[in-house]
Amino acid sequence: MGPPLLFDTYKPIAGTFDEMIDAEGTPRAHARRATKILDGLSPKEFAQAQSLAELSLYSQGVTFSVYSDQRGTEKIFPICLVPRVISGAEWNRVEKGLAQRIAALCAFLDDIYGPQKILTSGTVPADLILGAKFYLPKVRGIRPPGGVRIPIAGIDLIRSPDGVFRVLEDNLRTPSGVSYVVENRLVTKRIFQSAIEESSVRPVEQYPMHLAETLRAISPVDPAETRMVLLTPGSFNSAYFEHTFLARTMGVELVEPSDLFVEDDTVFVRTIRGPERVHVIYRRIDDAYLDPEFFRPDSLLGVPGLMRAYAAGTVALANAPGNGVADDKAVYPFVPDMIRYYLGEEAILAQVDTYVCTRPDDLKYVLENLSQLVVKAVDEAGGYGMLMGPQASAAEIEEFRKRIIAEPRRYIAQHRVELSTCPTWVPGAEKLAPRRVDLRPFILTQPSGSWVLPGGLTRVALVEGSYVVNSSQGGGSKDTWVQKDKSL
Amino acid sequence: MISRVADHCFWFGRYMDRAESTARLLQVTRTLVFDADIPVTQCWKPLVIVAGVEEKFIERFGQDNIGNGELVQNYMTWEPENPISLRTSVRAARESARVLRDVLSLESWEEVNELYHWLGGDEAQVLYRQNREQFYRRVRKSTQLVLGLVRSTMLHDTPMSLLWAGAMLERVGQTARILDMHPHTMTLESAHQIVEVALWLSLLRACSGYEAFMKKVQGRVSAQAVASFLVFDRRFPRSLRYCLLSAKQILLHIWPEADRPGPGHAPYARLDALTTWLDKQEATSTPSIIHALLTRVVDDTALICSDIGREILGPPQPEEKAAATPAAQTQSQSQTQSPTADGAPLETRRPPKPEKPETAGKAEVQ
Repeated sequence: MGPPLLFDTYKPIAGTFDEMIDAEGTPRAHARRATKILDGLSPKEFAQAQSLAELSLYSQGVTFSVYSDQRGTEKIFPICLVPRVISGAEWNRVEKGLAQRIAALCAFLDDIYGPQKILTSGTVPADLILGAKFYLPKVRGIRPPGGVRIPIAGIDLIRSPDGVFRVLEDNLRTPSGVSYVVENRLVTKRIFQSAIEESSVRPVEQYPMHLAETLRAISPVDPAETRMVLLTPGSFNSAYFEHTFLARTMGVELVEPSDLFVEDDTVFVRTIRGPERVHVIYRRIDDAYLDPEFFRPDSLLGVPGLMRAYAAGTVALANAPGNGVADDKAVYPFVPDMIRYYLGEEAILAQVDTYVCTRPDDLKYVLENLSQLVVKAVDEAGGYGMLMGPQASAAEIEEFRKRIIAEPRRYIAQHRVELSTCPTWVPGAEKLAPRRVDLRPFILTQPSGSWVLPGGLTRVALVEGSYVVNSSQGGGSKDTWVQKDKSL
Repeated sequence: MISRVADHCFWFGRYMDRAESTARLLQVTRTLVFDADIPVTQCWKPLVIVAGVEEKFIERFGQDNIGNGELVQNYMTWEPENPISLRTSVRAARESARVLRDVLSLESWEEVNELYHWLGGDEAQVLYRQNREQFYRRVRKSTQLVLGLVRSTMLHDTPMSLLWAGAMLERVGQTARILDMHPHTMTLESAHQIVEVALWLSLLRACSGYEAFMKKVQGRVSAQAVASFLVFDRRFPRSLRYCLLSAKQILLHIWPEADRPGPGHAPYARLDALTTWLDKQEATSTPSIIHALLTRVVDDTALICSDIGREILGPPQPEEKAAATPAAQTQSQSQTQSPTADGAPLETRRPPKPEKPETAGKAEVQ
């Protein structure tokens, strides 16, 4: 007998969908090739491959800052080399559902910052929207140059025990993580070249080219004459690696707010040969820090006058300011209604049932069942401001009860979804074990339609029993293999 | 090219070359201790002086320790408070490289990043303790590799020109300082022919010029020949003249019309005047004359560097002036007022802006 092979001892968790292995312990049809190739490795060989991958990410500086000061520790976003495989046919459906969702959300934002018909119709409660933290009344009436408010979106999907992909949340402001998708693939390719070829995995490296094309498509001037820049808050930002990655791979310049200035409602960048005009800004800065004139007069940050230029139509911003109102967690339950209202279609992608604490019945139910629910603050992300009821202490539950009663508008609740699992390498134990995953596909949208990056970022909760996949809270990532659809 | 990025390019080149020179100087001084029959303390003291950190060093360790090789090496290698220690230079270079991620080639960046992590880790500490020679070698090789990769993997365009201008002008100062170690050492009573040759040879090694020099003189080592080689040789890539002439050419790549009034003219004109002046000087071995020449070159080069900074960034903005710390102001004054090549502190990149507390704590969490 040789050493135990990778999948020998692997067992999915009862009552949970496993992405690769079925309840009997047999690889699912679409994952068969990938598991077979991995299974040819002994745990020791696999461990070596893992440390090789991590070292390579570290020396390339594929890291995020743990603390935000410049001397802060840098960490790699841990990668698990066991990929998550998605069949081509299933992906096609997801792709259509994502494009549909973005079309509706774009229409919604245009409406909210325009005629507000959906509010008049009563389909979405007006007070919910107009009172949202990220609703920007001052943006109303401004038509974004290029006409697309969500050129770049990241929509988080999870898979429930019935095997159905469901939308967990929308990220329509500055979704991050796509650089890890491309970097993870580069690393995995180096190590499992043949596995990728044999599983006919769809490539992901083309993302930067599509992104550049998407940005050019919203330019207020001739695309060929367009100067695009990527606006970063600076090298202390935790997503700085991604900013440099995208700038580098698109071949556009990475700028900080102080590099830009506005004159005659036109944006310029300071160069060593004098000021030069800028037409499209992919900004990775929150709305509030874009323009002190417009957002917060007390702030020294941002580019004074940027919003004037935007309103004048001389510069396109991706994404449009004000998008936060559409990815508010209390607005999320209404997205299927938006799809019906704007597109006259039923939503292709399912959602997670959500209790909105402003509804009296929902609030009552939430307060009575806190220990079974996941409560989320509507305006937080990154896994912050959350109560995981089933795992929380009595004190934490009481704390949230008080907060919800004080500010019901700030909270929603959902039953905990038994997130699907994927075989994941457990360092120390030197074996594979099921760990929970989600999926963030990236959707690029131009006036002519949407393009979906095949796959997206699979995040994995590396800690046993954990449901939190965020990088800030002990999450890691996996390469996501979308297979070519043979039926096409 | 964006001004802020251009400034980082220039400084990245300077810091990389500075790290290389410092590592080289430390390495060579160690061997000098074995080669020449001079007291250990007299080997290390000049190094502290030409590095421009004498005052700070004495303040910290006392006058008696200025010849203490271990203390000097620790201070010049690891000390975070020392603005030109290896660790400080590599950290500053890497900080600029992080800003330049979309400008530097991936390979250059990887090498800087690896060097930075290595120097901050246990492995470097162990090597430093167990095999000092190999330690300096490793630092030198990495910095040389970075500068080589820059030339062989980056677009030969304005960013690389700026980077290389930084490296060349930094090298002028470094070579001048190394050469200026001599008068300090030559005041020794024990100085005699053999010691002197050993010293000159070590200076040549500190500039990687040993073999190149020998090809030229075929064994006829003299103080005058060495000084002349390091100052005037047109083909030796670390001589003062070579570096200044290269910098001049590079400035014309960056600002094609720098030779007439307009963008880039101020540093170009000063550089042109300096090279013209240098052409008129004659080879000599008189320590006081060499010292005066080196002083002029170092001082003018510092001015050329600040001219370039002004061309790139424009005059300091009002908010910057307000934010500048008193320490930084003192430093910039001493740069222009210091009359000698030795003891003049090396400039460091001027901090462009105060920290940004408002967004510093905000992770982009979507």
